[in-house]
Amino acid sequence: MTLNARSRNLALLRYLVLPFIFLTVVLLGGLRVSVEHHAFLFLPPSLIDLILAVMILALAVRGGLLKLHAWLSLDQPTLALISNFLTLLAFFFASAQSLNSVLPEQGLLHWIFALLFLWTLWNNQFSGLNAERTVRSLAVLFGTAFLLKHIIFSALNASDDSWIRQLAAGLIQGLVMANADDAKYAPATGYISFFAIALFVCGLALLPAGPDEFEVGEGKVSLNEAPPATTLVRHEQGIPMIEGQIVSDEVTKNS
Amino acid sequence: MQPRHIQSAGILVTLLYGLFIVWVYVTAPRSFSEAAAQTRVTTGTYEIDQKHFQAGVDLFHIDQFRASREEFVLADPLQRDARTQFYIAYSFYREGWGRTYDDDALFKQGLEAVNRAMSLSSGVLSVDDTNLKMHSAAELKTELQQGLERSWSDLNPLKVFRERK
Repeated sequence: MTLNARSRNLALLRYLVLPFIFLTVVLLGGLRVSVEHHAFLFLPPSLIDLILAVMILALAVRGGLLKLHAWLSLDQPTLALISNFLTLLAFFFASAQSLNSVLPEQGLLHWIFALLFLWTLWNNQFSGLNAERTVRSLAVLFGTAFLLKHIIFSALNASDDSWIRQLAAGLIQGLVMANADDAKYAPATGYISFFAIALFVCGLALLPAGPDEFEVGEGKVSLNEAPPATTLVRHEQGIPMIEGQIVSDEVTKNS
Repeated sequence: MQPRHIQSAGILVTLLYGLFIVWVYVTAPRSFSEAAAQTRVTTGTYEIDQKHFQAGVDLFHIDQFRASREEFVLADPLQRDARTQFYIAYSFYREGWGRTYDDDALFKQGLEAVNRAMSLSSGVLSVDDTNLKMHSAAELKTELQQGLERSWSDLNPLKVFRERK
């Protein structure tokens, strides 16, 4: 792959695909489908979702998943700064909506889930995670919450007499049956939530530590990286390095 | 395409998509068809379904008020047409009207509908229909409000001779 093509693909990933993924999570995270009439219900994030999203953002920074100073550095061009800010904003709201998607809407279970998230995220702030482990930790956290809400508890609230429901009826009936949210949502809600969480985790995995810094294979590739000396025919002074790469590629192609 | 162009396109797409999401959460459409109707409202191209509206008016004229309301709801799902809302309010009035007493629940719904009609038409609405005895939204609203009020005149036995409008 030529340097030009790589730069273009990385730019597409960074400036188009990544914000698109996070914004799709924002859209789908609060979407429910009601049992009656299969109508769409759009639930905005609650206050606790926003608080937990701030903790996820803080965890991403502390875990090295995001270098905030690089993303919001004032030394970069204005367009780049705007783009970085929008991506971070999309990431923040995607986190909030992912939480919205896996937290029960009300009742005792809502607060139990919220407290467990709060506890885990708070603990992780001080556990010295690296970027990879932060992604894994968040994936497991969201995966578990999804499993509990959309598989276990929705089965318990289902109208049929499944074995899991009968088992729970004798054990934790008061706790689980008090949460009737899942009973009013169609199974499609679970599929939408699964898609949203999967997209969010994909977005986390694709998120570069710096705004233009990508891990490709074993090494790191920067959108603003100077090309190797063998490919650099002529670097134009005064032109940003990324454009210098393209100029050099064009010159190589034409010569 | 240069990365700088991709960056500009990315900002534009992100902003547009973000605005779309805000719009979806503010309008909260309950189905794809409602989302399409909301889009038509936003772009100023929303129109009621004339077939359902005419069916509603025909049913209204033969005193099939509930059925007529079903048709009016289909004609104007987003409640954006003043004339349709006027007919809905009128159907609540006629259905709720009684010689000895009025149905408060229906009158309240009628009042809500006529208020919608008035706000959609900036308070000036006149419907030209020979079947109706009240042609303006203001008249209908007054009639509905009077029906909901409690006074000593309610005990007047001569009330049984009043006419439904």
